[in-house]
Amino acid sequence: MSTANTDTASKAAAFSTTATVLLVDDEPVSRLSMVARLKRMGLRVLEASNGKEGLAILRRERPDLTILDWVMPEMDGPTVCEQVRQDPDIHSSQLILMTSHDQPEQIAEGLARGADDFLSKSASKQEILARVQSGLRAASLVRNIESTRDQLRIKQAELEGELQSAASYVRSLLPAAGPVAPGIHMSWTYRPSLALGGDLFNCSSWDEHSITFYILDASGHGVSPALRAASLSTFLRADNLRHYMDDSDPARMMAEANRQYPLTEDGSYFTLWIGSFDRRTGQLRYTTAGHGGALIHRQNETVEWLTHSQLPLGFESDTQYKSSAIQVTDGDRVILMSDGIYEAPASTGELWGTTRLEATLMAHRSAPLGEALPALMAEAERWNGSSVFPDDAALLGLEFRL
Amino acid sequence: MSAADAFNLAEALAHVDEDAELFLTLAEVFVEQAPVDMAATQAAVDAGDAEAVSRAAHRLKGAIMQFSAPRAYEAAKELEALGRAGTLDRAASVCGNVDRELQQLLAALRAYIESGSAA
Repeated sequence: MSTANTDTASKAAAFSTTATVLLVDDEPVSRLSMVARLKRMGLRVLEASNGKEGLAILRRERPDLTILDWVMPEMDGPTVCEQVRQDPDIHSSQLILMTSHDQPEQIAEGLARGADDFLSKSASKQEILARVQSGLRAASLVRNIESTRDQLRIKQAELEGELQSAASYVRSLLPAAGPVAPGIHMSWTYRPSLALGGDLFNCSSWDEHSITFYILDASGHGVSPALRAASLSTFLRADNLRHYMDDSDPARMMAEANRQYPLTEDGSYFTLWIGSFDRRTGQLRYTTAGHGGALIHRQNETVEWLTHSQLPLGFESDTQYKSSAIQVTDGDRVILMSDGIYEAPASTGELWGTTRLEATLMAHRSAPLGEALPALMAEAERWNGSSVFPDDAALLGLEFRL
Repeated sequence: MSAADAFNLAEALAHVDEDAELFLTLAEVFVEQAPVDMAATQAAVDAGDAEAVSRAAHRLKGAIMQFSAPRAYEAAKELEALGRAGTLDRAASVCGNVDRELQQLLAALRAYIESGSAA
């Protein structure tokens, strides 16, 4: 054997597992010659004598590299390339098209129709070796990328599953529907954003004559704000807050929450609105830390936003909070909402806004609360153009029958 | 015109990395297949089918290429070009050249096979 043979054999040994090459050529003499050459390179060789047969073998065997003659009966080389590129199962296959050295315009056509590389029928041994090796290298790279992509998809699905699981947990913290206390009826709607957020609300009795309710928003997206929101909502349970105070004073509650939930290391914080209603006085006291989503929609149809300017939780540990107070009368509705609702963007980027929100509320004033809130949400969705908002959309309504 | 003229044995053997057994196989296949391909080429020329002429001549050319036989190769290449260009007025004459050169190549290869020259 000549030195050329040992040369090619040692180069072939560079492949850790035996690569497979499919050769498609209708002419038996040149096919025999090329098959022998490829085998001498240490490769496993499959053969086909026309394009149709070649394509069938390619689909079945998934060779690392396919070498195609240009002119063939049944289906020519370029057509095989086109067929391969259109088939999602095999479209990343490595394809070398054999050209005649006297037809350079074949290169442009070959590339356009899907070939990766070219081999002239009159190429030297060295060139054949080089192009085949180059093709096998590319095929190996593609296989790596596809394998990594497949693993990523699995990981992605797992992560989605975990996000779903976290979302379910957050949802389980929402209050049960129905009357929260005699004469006070609660209704709510909750639309989490596509990327899990951290909006939560709740409403419960403090004692036989008071109820407390709140809405919170943990900054950011993903599992972290959801976890943080769950933590704060647990802290805000009446049975926990009673360790800190006897009176359901929203300002005191806010101060405690502020002390317990400073800014996190990565700068995450909460906005929070807390209200406390005492049926003996008919008074609603409230305070806010950066959360503007609270209003009272009176029986006489006026809308008043229940907010004042205040930093979110966690910025200064010794903040003194002030609470405001209003009188609630029979038939009034207090509605808490995520800013994701009045900040719902249209496709143009314009926000829905509080004016449009108020108009919608007024339009549904005579409808029961359980219909008015979904109608409000539906209107925001129509504006947004989708039922999924960029942020969570939480909506809690209380109707007072006193 | 000697057998040695029709094809260059040394070059042809080098093309198959000195595998004389393989070369013998190639020669045997060619000796059987080439007359069939030649007949098909002639038929395409007679029918005036330019595309068929181009395809048939291309096929012959590819096989001839394995034997380092420049005259036969050039003749087949010329016929293929005529077929591709669609201008068949000289096709009959060029086809005659192909046939003549091919017969010489075949004769030389048959002689080679018969002489049992497997190294």
